[in-house]
Amino acid sequence: MARQLTESDLEAYLDEALSVDMMSTVEQALRADAELVRKLAKINARRDAGVHSLGEIWRRHRLSCPTREQLGNYLLGVLDKSATAFVKFHLNVSGCRTCQANLDDLNTRHADEPSIVDSRRKKYFQSSAGHLSRRR
Amino acid sequence: MCPLAPSDQLLVARIRRGEPEAWNELIARFEGRLLAFVEGRLGRRTAGEDVVQETFLGFLTSLPNFQDSRPLESYLFSIAAHKLTDHLRREGRRPTIPMTLGNTSGQWEPPARGRAVSSVARSGERRELEETAIVEALNQQIDRLRGRDEWEKLACLELLFVRGWANRDVATELKMTEQRVANFKFEFISRVRTLVRKQGLPEDVFPELHEEA
Repeated sequence: MARQLTESDLEAYLDEALSVDMMSTVEQALRADAELVRKLAKINARRDAGVHSLGEIWRRHRLSCPTREQLGNYLLGVLDKSATAFVKFHLNVSGCRTCQANLDDLNTRHADEPSIVDSRRKKYFQSSAGHLSRRR
Repeated sequence: MCPLAPSDQLLVARIRRGEPEAWNELIARFEGRLLAFVEGRLGRRTAGEDVVQETFLGFLTSLPNFQDSRPLESYLFSIAAHKLTDHLRREGRRPTIPMTLGNTSGQWEPPARGRAVSSVARSGERRELEETAIVEALNQQIDRLRGRDEWEKLACLELLFVRGWANRDVATELKMTEQRVANFKFEFISRVRTLVRKQGLPEDVFPELHEEA
């Protein structure tokens, strides 16, 4: 591991918010490092006591994330230079998993056959719509 | 990202009324990005679809507790993260982390120095008030940076506060001096602290706002 894991990285790990590569790195490290497990338990206990950190609120509310529209413009190459540099940084250095998912989705939207997408959406709808009608 | 957008507010209100078209609309809008989020970790389409399905069910189940102060997308992603975590635990890929420290009291203790009692074991309601206030303060600062095209500063603050990097590491990554990083940090902390104070919150709520630059 090139850089030591920070407390914020561990918080993000608990929230499934690190990049996919970082998540795997932490999982591997956890199997061999009891101290790391203790650190994560400490974060759990702190959260349980109702104490939050600025970083986790920032991440949870996605305060500095580009909008989906900006990500779309980034893909089209029509963002200005400095905003493009920030999006690149946000994805590759900050490792924002949610923005990466949005970008992947925008990138592959037309890759699936419309009929496959349609049947997937129908499956989601049919398995949940019963819960919707019970709220009426 | 701001609190719930008016169009999302309307969509959620229609779902609360039980309108199937609104529910269909939400699924169509979010399923692709949620699937990309879970599939990236699972590497398998079918398992990914199962987790997304559980996410939508989880959304409907938790709808009575959903608050308009939270963006819809980040709420859905947080449910997906929980469902994904459960799935990975069941597969044995994600180790279980104990909820307590296993010390004599079994409780978390704040660092002895510089941590006031008011920051410990606060009620859920109090916690939400603090969260809303800090989100507003941070949003003001971040919007200000965006409006002034100060992207380098925003990148610096992301690494400091979201990733928790040390000044030295941030300076190396962004190819700037440590002094410049410290200046950005000091300026940001001062502004947010002032905004937090204006909202009537005790200043010790967020220890990060009292660290040395």
